[in-house]
Amino acid sequence: MTDLTHDAAREAAAHAAVTRIRPMRGLLDLDLGAVWRYRELLWVLMMRDIQVLYKQAALGAAWAILQPLFAVLVFSVIFGFFVHMSSDGVPYPLFAFAGVLPWTYFAEATRRSSTGLIDDAELVRKVYFPRLIIPLARVMAPLVDFCIAFAVLLVMMGFYGVMPSWKLLLVPPLMVIAAMLALSIGLWLGPINVRFRDIKHTLPFMLQIWMYASPIVYPLSKVPPEWRALYSLNPMVGVIEGFRWAVFDRGAPDIGVMAASTAILAILLVGGLVFFRRMERAFADLI
Amino acid sequence: MSKVLAISAKGLSKRYQRGARAKHDSMRDMIGDTVRSLMTGDAERKAREQFWALKDATFDIERGENIGIIGLNGAGKSTLLKILSRIVTPTEGEAEIRGRLGALLEVGAGFHQELTGRENVFLYGSILGMTRKEVAQKFDAIVDFAEIEEFIDTPVKRYSSGMYVRLAFAVAAHLDPDILLLDEVLSVGDIAFSRKCLNFARSLEKRGSTILFVSHNMFSIKTMCPRVIYLKAGQIAFDGPTEQGLGKYETDSHLESAAWFPGGDRDTGISITGFSIHDESGAEASVIDHGARATIRIRYNASRRIERPDFRVGFSRSDDVHCMTFSSFSDGVDIPYVEGDGLIELKIPPIKLVSDRYSASIVVREHGLGDILSAQTGGHFHVRHPLYMPYYYGVFYETGEWRALPASVRSHQSAG
Repeated sequence: MTDLTHDAAREAAAHAAVTRIRPMRGLLDLDLGAVWRYRELLWVLMMRDIQVLYKQAALGAAWAILQPLFAVLVFSVIFGFFVHMSSDGVPYPLFAFAGVLPWTYFAEATRRSSTGLIDDAELVRKVYFPRLIIPLARVMAPLVDFCIAFAVLLVMMGFYGVMPSWKLLLVPPLMVIAAMLALSIGLWLGPINVRFRDIKHTLPFMLQIWMYASPIVYPLSKVPPEWRALYSLNPMVGVIEGFRWAVFDRGAPDIGVMAASTAILAILLVGGLVFFRRMERAFADLI
Repeated sequence: MSKVLAISAKGLSKRYQRGARAKHDSMRDMIGDTVRSLMTGDAERKAREQFWALKDATFDIERGENIGIIGLNGAGKSTLLKILSRIVTPTEGEAEIRGRLGALLEVGAGFHQELTGRENVFLYGSILGMTRKEVAQKFDAIVDFAEIEEFIDTPVKRYSSGMYVRLAFAVAAHLDPDILLLDEVLSVGDIAFSRKCLNFARSLEKRGSTILFVSHNMFSIKTMCPRVIYLKAGQIAFDGPTEQGLGKYETDSHLESAAWFPGGDRDTGISITGFSIHDESGAEASVIDHGARATIRIRYNASRRIERPDFRVGFSRSDDVHCMTFSSFSDGVDIPYVEGDGLIELKIPPIKLVSDRYSASIVVREHGLGDILSAQTGGHFHVRHPLYMPYYYGVFYETGEWRALPASVRSHQSAG
């Protein structure tokens, strides 16, 4: 009985599923449908990353909290205590935490999605699946760390007596933007990393500079108005400012900044997708 | 059932840049290379560095067919499988594949060391294209097939290599594809497990799956595939009945480097230029009667002085079982050195191997049991006997001395 239905299914599948193999042509041959068909693999790779992450570390999930907390501690001592940096009317440690939190996620997601193709070289060489799955799965895994640390932020807010409002609901869409941004960077740097392993060495230092070019230890209001437009070309500015607004409900986000961030993100993402697809065909030959 | 094409390939070609993978591992290398190529004529060198790993491969495979893909190392077998499994894109040409395709190019690519066997079954299953539901349904069957029930929740880094391979193959075996691409994977693990794998491949065949099978083991090709595609330097040299294809391949591979010998292309100072088998009358022969004494002549060319060489001649049965070896060194023959062209003659004792087809291989080592300088395939020959077949008699047959005693004597002997 099972065999019969099985054979019927096989018959149907054999007639329906035709795979065409041909040299790739066309710039916009993105084939995002294939990514959807392989969504289970995306999920599994994501779960694998999370499992491995927490299995290897003795302190496990504690790292998700300790890492940003340590950064906040250092920033609070240097910029809050010594420099007396203004912090938009919230206690400085809270202010810094709300900047460090989305940044830590973004930096980790960017690093992981940029090096994913090399880390999974074995898979790329030996198995077929849409390669886009790799950077995509890799930006998802650090979200777990983010969620754990976010809970700590809420506790800290309670401790300082800062109450969140309904705007907290805007945190998920903002994190989607941060994830897309990390993905876009990964789409550009990943294929380059396949060719030149230098990326691994330059990335930490690029991210360091990028961090100081984002309003993490200082507020956006500290940036001179004549530089604001240029400054806003950094898409993380919109994400971090938006994040603070969503959790603290102070002030209003600069619509111009948000628009600029989104536009830059869109350009990076679409360009990254095209670039990644163009390079993809050579991955198995090069890795 | 009407004939349905499972795979239809037209002019599949793949061009590679020679050494592309090793080059430019960092930007510093690239800058150096660019400067160098500007100073020398780059265009010419580039053309020379490009080569076709596969050229103009055109073939149709019907549903349910089992095809063996044979050829020497680097003939394009793996490239073909990689194109069909979509790991690499062809430079030219196209192919159409009907049905679900499963490719097993390396067992266990995708396993993660830190994860347990259970977690890896799900991971590897989805990498191979199964849904999680499917894996969950087949989970018990997979674990059962792999024979590792008690270790399923242990991280695979603690597995023995045999367990690792068994689990990986078990997952892949339950993929249940319409078309299965296999690259030498049946040769892994112990004999009992390879047999299990072979049986599994046969059961797939019975259910109408199409199997493409790359192997160096001509015996497995012969038992599994009625048709072979023989690739030679990237091109299809033969496509048709297995017997004929294997014959062509064997003629071509005469005196080629042995597949297991890594330094095949390296100049180590000596190469075998001729190999022939002669019967007792001295005539060249490809059939030797069981019990006859054959003579083997090996011609060599040594480009340098090889000190105290050891010449070895081995015979392997058609299913790749290495049966016996003659060694000049072990036989106590002292050859001080060889240089230039020369001939070695070996008169073998009455041959006791059973009736089958054998392939000869020649290995040359320096300083007795020192480095292997050359390992080449020699010719093929048959040992003829009406009775002594491998299935009943094993590897060789020797007469023993028998005595039949009356029962009373037997009991008397066992008492004493």
